[in-house]
Amino acid sequence: MNVPYLKNKRILLVDDESALLDMTAGILEAEGYRQIKKAKTAKEALAACREWRPEFVVLDVMLPDGDGFSLLEQLRAFSDVPVLFLTARGEEEDRFRGLGLGADDYIVKPFLPKELILRIGAILRRCYKNEQPLVQLAACQIDFEKAEVIKNEKSIPLTAKEFELLQALYRNAGKIVTIDMLCEAVWGENPFGYENSLMAHIRRIREKIEENPSKPVSLITVKGLGYKLLVEG
Amino acid sequence: MKSILKLIRRFFLILILSIVLILFLNLILFFLMFYHQSSSRSPWKAAEMVAGSLLQAEDGTYELQDEGKTVLEQSGAWAILVDADGSVKWSSSNLPSEIPLHYTLAELSWAIRGYIEDYPTTVGEYGDDLLIMGHPKTAYWKAMWNTFDYDMIANLPQTVVIFLLFNLVIVFLIYLFAVSGVLRSVKPIIRGIEALPEGPEVYVKEKGLLSSLAVSLNRTAEKLRMQEYDLKKKETARANWIAGVSHDIRTPLSMVMGYASQLEDNKSLAESERKKAGVIRFQSMRIKNLINDLNLSSKLEYNAQPIQRTEQNAVSLLRKVVVDFLNVDPDNKYSLVWTTDESLTSCLIQADANLLQRAVSNLIVNAQVHNPDGCTISAKVCKEGDMCRITISDDGKGVSDEQLATLRTSSGRSPSKLGEQQHGLGLLIVGQIAAAHDGRIEMDHSPVGGFQVSIILPLSEKRPPSESK
Repeated sequence: MNVPYLKNKRILLVDDESALLDMTAGILEAEGYRQIKKAKTAKEALAACREWRPEFVVLDVMLPDGDGFSLLEQLRAFSDVPVLFLTARGEEEDRFRGLGLGADDYIVKPFLPKELILRIGAILRRCYKNEQPLVQLAACQIDFEKAEVIKNEKSIPLTAKEFELLQALYRNAGKIVTIDMLCEAVWGENPFGYENSLMAHIRRIREKIEENPSKPVSLITVKGLGYKLLVEG
Repeated sequence: MKSILKLIRRFFLILILSIVLILFLNLILFFLMFYHQSSSRSPWKAAEMVAGSLLQAEDGTYELQDEGKTVLEQSGAWAILVDADGSVKWSSSNLPSEIPLHYTLAELSWAIRGYIEDYPTTVGEYGDDLLIMGHPKTAYWKAMWNTFDYDMIANLPQTVVIFLLFNLVIVFLIYLFAVSGVLRSVKPIIRGIEALPEGPEVYVKEKGLLSSLAVSLNRTAEKLRMQEYDLKKKETARANWIAGVSHDIRTPLSMVMGYASQLEDNKSLAESERKKAGVIRFQSMRIKNLINDLNLSSKLEYNAQPIQRTEQNAVSLLRKVVVDFLNVDPDNKYSLVWTTDESLTSCLIQADANLLQRAVSNLIVNAQVHNPDGCTISAKVCKEGDMCRITISDDGKGVSDEQLATLRTSSGRSPSKLGEQQHGLGLLIVGQIAAAHDGRIEMDHSPVGGFQVSIILPLSEKRPPSESK
């Protein structure tokens, strides 16, 4: 489901447990990621960040020579690389601390490989979306740069709300996005009572992106819960 | 402080009562004594008796009968008979030499009213003459000026009442003075004792009348402080221990779960082996949930986890939990269905979103764990009066009536008292979380044959913004 260009991203895995590093690397390799490097200490990780310039970092909190939080702080001094914490520390305050330091996501061990893949994919898509403006759907392509849909060699402009909705869906491509999250993405906080407007917008988006809007294949409804955008990979 | 006032009132009443009682007792004693005085032979009566037993013979001489003699002997007194001219016509044989034998009228009046040469006197009539009896000098004390104002005697009842009242006021003032001193030293101690149950941060100055009491009060507070500290330390140690163990299990479990999941998805393996890997993956997830529950439960029980309630839309919250389940594992044998009424878009409650999500997740996991062959799980929110009901039900194998009864009775208990209850923790935590939100849980057979649990929480006071925005 991930777009091929993302599979070339350099991913740095940092964990003190080499068995876990091997497994995580295996999961990512199986998913098609080609450039993976492992680091077992904060020092190694920092050196790798300076020399190898990873485009994504999976970070553990407990490291033999320091903790992931301070490592992230040092890292942020010279790099904006997206970071995902993968740690056994499940306390709320740890989670908030990690996210507060500018991590992009926080997964508590143990985790399902699928969850890790989906979350890494979502962050990569969000952070490197400009490198691949065209998103391939079943019946069309979306150009987020120009905010338009290219269907049957015709370009159809997206309205601001449609654009925001599609972006929210694309960020979580392959996953269900709840009605509430979509409303919040478009209308901001406390999005009460927008369900009908949302349905209208979805209908219009379908008219633009689907071959047959009454039988959608890219923008799927999950009854009562939300919507899911399927991208071609 | 109320108790002190009560104490003062009671003691004052007792004091007044005792004073009145003592007064009465004294009065009774006084009258008894008086009665005794008057009943014993009085000196005046003695004089009359002496006069009565003095007989005048034919020849004009006087003869004291034996009776009179006895009276005189008994009281060690002497007697004289004075005529109208002031001359002594007869005297007893023991008459002291200093007693004059002639009296002027003034001397006589003085002799009657008081003393003759310091001998207290009493008199008795003897025809036209007067018999004066002289008692030993230390026998009596005579009230010589026993005159009272007429008004005073006439107003005696009022005077007595005023007298008593005056006494009472004096007693009250004395009491107040004494009590205020005691009170001053007791007050801080009472305050300290009253504050003790609120928290052992009590210190009373160790001086004054009751300093020893203050010392032991301070020691008690110190002891309580120590105990509370120890207890907290123990609880924290226990919670930390659980947190530590669960932390250490997470990394190895990640590998079990990760590799099992990879094997399960490995198309080159035989179907039966992939199934086994699936079982390992599923059971590891159970362990994961158990760790999370254990951790949370210990925190909830020791109040280590502060509950942060904010306004939440139960519909959105439940939707998010369901979607998270679907997103992580979309094609497993458990189908999750959303059965909330379409028209219900918001159901506001005051909740800690994380905790409530955990509670709902627990219910969904619970349904999965107890139906290993798969089932359909439905999630629903509805409003019931001023309550919000979140229901997770399944069409699995359900529970027997007895199991249901056991579950219902055990759900109120705290996990540390759970003992042997086998699949309690998940549900117990849901109960704990509901209770922490002023709500409760209800367990029942689901209408489609399985098991169902509802979390019932009070609706938020605030109304949602109008729907037509």
